[in-house]
Amino acid sequence: MSETSDILLFQVGLRIFATRVRDAVRIGSVRDVPADSIILDSSLGRPHSRERGIVVATPDEQQERTLVIDEVLGVRTVHEDELRPLPPFAAACLPGGAVTGFVLLDEAPMPLVDLPTVVRQRLARPTPRI
Amino acid sequence: MRNPLDLPKKKPARGRRAAPTAKDEPGRLVEALRAMEAGRAPALEPSEMSEPGLRAVAEALLDVSGSVRRRLADADRRVQAVTDGVDEAIEAMVRLVIQGDLSGELRLGVSDAALTPLVAGVAQVMETLKKFVQEIREAALQLSTSSAEVLAAATQNESSTSAQASAIHETTATMEELKGASHQIAENAQMVASIAEQTLAGARQGEGAIKLFMGSMEKVRHNAIEVDDAIAKLSKRVERIGTVVDVIDEIADRSDLLALNAALEGAKAGEAGRGFSIVAAEMRRLAENVMESTKEIKNLITEIREATHAAKEASDGNKREAAEGEKIGGTAITSVSGILSGIQETSDAARVIHLATQQQRTATEQVVQSMSEIEEVTRQAQTGSKQATGAAAELTRLAERLAELVKRFRVE
Repeated sequence: MSETSDILLFQVGLRIFATRVRDAVRIGSVRDVPADSIILDSSLGRPHSRERGIVVATPDEQQERTLVIDEVLGVRTVHEDELRPLPPFAAACLPGGAVTGFVLLDEAPMPLVDLPTVVRQRLARPTPRI
Repeated sequence: MRNPLDLPKKKPARGRRAAPTAKDEPGRLVEALRAMEAGRAPALEPSEMSEPGLRAVAEALLDVSGSVRRRLADADRRVQAVTDGVDEAIEAMVRLVIQGDLSGELRLGVSDAALTPLVAGVAQVMETLKKFVQEIREAALQLSTSSAEVLAAATQNESSTSAQASAIHETTATMEELKGASHQIAENAQMVASIAEQTLAGARQGEGAIKLFMGSMEKVRHNAIEVDDAIAKLSKRVERIGTVVDVIDEIADRSDLLALNAALEGAKAGEAGRGFSIVAAEMRRLAENVMESTKEIKNLITEIREATHAAKEASDGNKREAAEGEKIGGTAITSVSGILSGIQETSDAARVIHLATQQQRTATEQVVQSMSEIEEVTRQAQTGSKQATGAAAELTRLAERLAELVKRFRVE
């Protein structure tokens, strides 16, 4: 019997992403979050509904940030062999390390992202005007 | 002429009568008196009387007889003279009358004093006749002048009467035409009155229809107001439902969020949190169902809002149209009232015109009748005028004739 992992599936725009459940502190409502804690625009894209947010902990800053998404699709348990890390060449082509690999769900590959990295990258660049 | 007292001339005795006897002598006297009485000369010879007394009577008788005979002769002479004077006067008068010469004086050779009054009377008659002739001449002249004037006046009158008759004839013909025109006008007025009555009935029906229309418009407006109120209530209910749905949706969203976090925590707990994750997933499914339902409800509410808004717009439109309809109906009823009033006045006027034209027709017929009578009277007057003209002409001729006759008498 192989090892399993739980992943969180969410949607930003038209794209669906997956992340490990440990990267998400909790799921929150955007309207309950202070504005300076919200990350609206990230490398994942620009959400439309802006109602849901994934609360992500940043170890270096010791605080939480809410990454705004469109919808949380749910928590899925997958086998470890369905989690595929990026090939070295692809990892070299995708600098920053936000996308760590793919997860095969129903024979369809889905990007597996590292949310703390996404938040960190977003905080590293200046905040665009909304 | 024989005077009865004219005694016959004494004739010689034819033979010797027998000598009267004394006894017959009174008888002879009586016989002589009878002869005198008969107008004969008494055949008496006084000397033959034997009685002296009778002889004296006889002689006296003879004297009386002679005296009477002489007086009778004188009377005969005087009568003859008077007769001759009268004849002369009559002859002179006849001569004057025949000759017509009244200019001179009547001169008669009558010396008898007894004829003096006759001569004076004849002179007076002549003088009177002269005056008469003069007056008749003047009268004839005036008569001629007057008759000429009468003739001229009669001729003028005849001409005027003819012109009057012609004018009356033309007037009669015109009145006949006027009578026909009056009849036509009366018929037209009656037709106008009938049409006006029909129009009035139609206008009244139109007025009733407009009032019904206004009543319907008022009902429509009231219904629109009620619909508006119902829509407002419905909107409030829908808003209330929306509020409730929002609350439900908020709860479902919170439930979904809680379920998500529960599932997340369950996953983080590993195998120990598996059951928790299953319950959380079920909760999330329920929350999603609720949100799906609330979404449908919201869509329905949105549709209801749109339909309500459209109904409100339609209701407002109905109210506006109803108000506009009432306004137009009011204007129409005002116009129809004016039309009704006008038609009523037209109908009344047409009826009055009809009556007036009927009276006019009757009056025209009476005038035509009167004009016919006047024409007949004028024709008679024309005939009389012609007769008067003829009479005046005849009178003029008679006056001229009288003047001619009077001219025969010379008075100067």
